[in-house]
Amino acid sequence: MLRDTVVHLLRDNYTEAKVRGKKRFLLERQQLQSLTEFKSQAEVIGFLADSPYGAELSKLPDSASAAEAERTVSQSLARTVENIEASAKGNVRQFIIEYRRRYDARNLARLLVFKLQGRPWEEYVSTRSPLGTLSEKQLRKLYNIENSRDLIEEMADQTLEGRLENMQLESPSPDKTALIRDIIVGWGDERFYAYASNKLTGRDRTICIPIIGSAIDLGNISIILRGKLMGLADIRSHLVPVYWKLDAKTLESLLTAEDIQQTLDRISAHRYYRRILAGSRQKYDETKSLAFMEVLAREHFAKLSHEIFLGIPYNIGVILAFLVLKDNEARNLSAVISGINAGLLPEQIRPLLAA
Amino acid sequence: MVSEPIVYASLGVGLSVFLSVIGASIGISISAPAIAGAGTERPEIVSKSLIATILAEAIAIYGLVVGLLSIFRLTSLTPADTDIAFRIFSGGLIMGIAAVAAGIGIGTSGSALASATAEKPELFSRAVVPLILAEALAIYAFVAALLLVI
Repeated sequence: MLRDTVVHLLRDNYTEAKVRGKKRFLLERQQLQSLTEFKSQAEVIGFLADSPYGAELSKLPDSASAAEAERTVSQSLARTVENIEASAKGNVRQFIIEYRRRYDARNLARLLVFKLQGRPWEEYVSTRSPLGTLSEKQLRKLYNIENSRDLIEEMADQTLEGRLENMQLESPSPDKTALIRDIIVGWGDERFYAYASNKLTGRDRTICIPIIGSAIDLGNISIILRGKLMGLADIRSHLVPVYWKLDAKTLESLLTAEDIQQTLDRISAHRYYRRILAGSRQKYDETKSLAFMEVLAREHFAKLSHEIFLGIPYNIGVILAFLVLKDNEARNLSAVISGINAGLLPEQIRPLLAA
Repeated sequence: MVSEPIVYASLGVGLSVFLSVIGASIGISISAPAIAGAGTERPEIVSKSLIATILAEAIAIYGLVVGLLSIFRLTSLTPADTDIAFRIFSGGLIMGIAAVAAGIGIGTSGSALASATAEKPELFSRAVVPLILAEALAIYAFVAALLLVI
């Protein structure tokens, strides 16, 4: 543990100081709330002129669509992460590369969904995350594969193939689309968890695992809930077989729950996840949607990240915490921009924000 | 001859200067990258944060002063001045070891100061206190060494 601290102190304090400097410019909760009050996208862009997004957003024409603004926010996020990666060395640099591979999973999930829905490449490429490590050429090659099974075989490993094996992929409903996305994102998280478990040591591991592990658990919960919603018989085969705080007994009780409400009740009683998912049943009953799960998960990761910043410095957790907070901020901004463009009221946008 | 007082006195001079330089080097090499990293995001804090490297450099000066004062005494040292030689040796050793310790303290707290100030500039006046306390460690040793060698 001491060795890790000394290595970070001597090698990574440049990067850590840089990250703390960048953290200063993250939007506060109050600022996010006030963004929802704006009436147009142009006002939001004007508000963000002095933020790290200002340089990119100011280049957008007034007539820019919500998708273009969201893509610009996403590009700004990618630029920030690449900037940190460029200054990092050794295992911190490798850690950031592994973190970016999670976005590969998200990009692959979106690619598969676009293919299944028959949407054009141009639309896909404009919405993919620039943070992924796969190049546009590689993604194009995958996109050109006609058969969806062949596509999965080419883009992933046998683990993911097995998880999607029993699923009818053609003409997916919105729920099935979300389930496919959760399964592929879970596969990406699993790879990151394996890296963190095997390669990180000491305090680095202790601090990072709660975020990475709970991402897998919450992903599994989301898969179970979607499976219940769709009435799937074999949900277990779609789950990531890595459990952090979700023990086998709890998992079994979630899988055997009669319906989605009972599943939510059971997970709300879990010793760890009750503080995150308390009130989730009420939210589901009100909205009849599982969109709140993503917001609750992001709130949880943001809370853990803020705690890391308050703890002892000189560990890789500080880097992860910033990446999580920056990603969360970008998603919040995307929610605000798309909400305003869709004509939603501030009260309707705010529940979509995780601050 | 190892038993010669001049040998111990010279060793004291060497320890004082050499270890003080090592301490200063540790302090600067740990704090400077953090200051540079913080400066890439918030250039306005660099000048304030440089206090860490200045204080680290001061450690080398303390060691040099003790070393120079010791050298002045070396010229008048006779084979009978064993006690003076040991005082010079002890002074150099105290200064040298304390300089390394203070260098580590200044380096780590200076690095933390730069990081903390980059995140919250208003913390500077409070975050600088550990840095000054680390510097004080070297000053204690400097005073003790001076009393020994003069």
